[in-house]
Amino acid sequence: MRVRLAVLWLIWSAGAAWSQSPAFTPRDESPEEFAPGAGREETFYACTPCHNFKLVAAQGMSRERWDETLTFMTSRHNMPALAGAERKLVLDYLERAYPPRPARPGGWNPFAPH
Amino acid sequence: MKQERAIHELYDDPERADTVVFGRVASHGGNDVPRATRRGFLGGAGLAALSAAVGGAIPFAAEMPAGLIPAALAQGAGSGAKEPQLLKFPGKDERLVVLGERPLVAETPEHLLDDEITPTARFYIRNNGQIPEQTKEPDNWKITIDGEVSNKLELALGELKQKFKPVTRRMVLECGGNGRSFFSPQARGNQWTNGGAGCAEWTGVRLADVLKAAGLQPSAVFTGHYGADPHLSGEANRVALSRGVPIRKAMDENNLIVWAMNGEPLPPIHGFPVRLVIAGWPGSVSQKWLTRIWVRDKPHDGQGMGGTSYRVPVKPIVPGSNDDGKTFRDLESMPVRAIITSPANGSKLAAGTNELKLRGAAWAGDQTVKQVDVSTDFGATWTKANLGKPKNKYDWQRWTAAVKVPSDGYYEVWARGTDSRGVMQPHVAGNWNPQGYGGNPMHRIAVLIG
Repeated sequence: MRVRLAVLWLIWSAGAAWSQSPAFTPRDESPEEFAPGAGREETFYACTPCHNFKLVAAQGMSRERWDETLTFMTSRHNMPALAGAERKLVLDYLERAYPPRPARPGGWNPFAPH
Repeated sequence: MKQERAIHELYDDPERADTVVFGRVASHGGNDVPRATRRGFLGGAGLAALSAAVGGAIPFAAEMPAGLIPAALAQGAGSGAKEPQLLKFPGKDERLVVLGERPLVAETPEHLLDDEITPTARFYIRNNGQIPEQTKEPDNWKITIDGEVSNKLELALGELKQKFKPVTRRMVLECGGNGRSFFSPQARGNQWTNGGAGCAEWTGVRLADVLKAAGLQPSAVFTGHYGADPHLSGEANRVALSRGVPIRKAMDENNLIVWAMNGEPLPPIHGFPVRLVIAGWPGSVSQKWLTRIWVRDKPHDGQGMGGTSYRVPVKPIVPGSNDDGKTFRDLESMPVRAIITSPANGSKLAAGTNELKLRGAAWAGDQTVKQVDVSTDFGATWTKANLGKPKNKYDWQRWTAAVKVPSDGYYEVWARGTDSRGVMQPHVAGNWNPQGYGGNPMHRIAVLIG
């Protein structure tokens, strides 16, 4: 499964031929930068043919809404459909790694002592 | 920092957190509670704890609503990061905050929107696809107007500049998702705070003049816009974004097909050599790298139209619930929004400062802004700001206010805009929807005196 996703990713990445303006090259991401857990690589390679994983990591959702999001990505953005054990693995990871958060995640206090 | 994260986690259940962490008990009225007000009661050890958390005494603690996460702890992007990732991009201010690199998306912190005209370097960036290769022959760039027209046009940009009267207007451009990060539970997408907006001087020709030249047929009801930016997947047959507007909006004389921003050629990242600016509506209808306007005989159904995309519930739905958006309506005019552009959130002011001098901007989609009010006591009392007039329709309005404060300490400044119909900004983002459109709660900043 991991191989299949990685191969898919390679095909897509090659097709994408990243010709962002010479002025800007997106930073390379790797699965290891993100929340650990079973299914991390599979999830990473399922999402990153189109967009960076930072966007995924910025979300916090219930399993049901992650499931809806996978469906949305397939129906609206042409992501290859994830089904069966593959979908379960990805959902297991997303549910554990990026669950719903309080209203303002990532806040920091500008007056905290440094 | 660890302590702040812990506070955040506790605020999952805000009233419980108030009790556990700060000893603060929310009062719902009645005689059995000391200082019974509709707001929270905060005193003794609890007040000390909360003051320690925000870094200073809180003079208006008695007015602080129960369960409110102090603004000092509530700012920031939704990435879960402690510090924002800052943009490194030629010609752009390095204080813009990156929301995503692929596609490239960056917002402008409110305090960098302190100019009447937003400098191009500080203007936010939103892409839905890849950034296309820069053309070397801008005047030969072709724009097609076809569909329900009697005279299909294929104009080179050079011809467009010659044939139609150029116009310069100062207009706000705002991402449809601006304010998304304020929804609870979190809505899906780039976690904009208030920085997906800016006001520039745009030079171009009126879209209405070009559509008239093409001759709209009676069957024309909608536009569909196309640009040269490739889909993120790189697949040539996929469209990154193609949105449109009803003809009645398209014919608004303020809409422009523009080639210059703030007196200079459009920068590549903002759509060089030519883009649409359809002010007051979600920025995604203002197609960058414009190649085609397809006049439709029905509402446009391109990428980014329909479902839950740029659409909001007509019948409010339970926050966090599933919905396919079929009964939603398109988000048309953007809602009223006022921001505080000075001082910056997190400013430290000299001890003894007894007056806060505030500046900001306000705008309201297709409406104008009728009033801006500010509060330094968590909304218990409000001061009307001095509000300027727009230079032209769709310009934003600058405002100033001076508010006395009783002592040194920690203050939150809240700003609330009211549009020309009397519609005000709410305290929280309402009408929750899965992709988080229309979030416009009041802007809050934290300042520390002394």
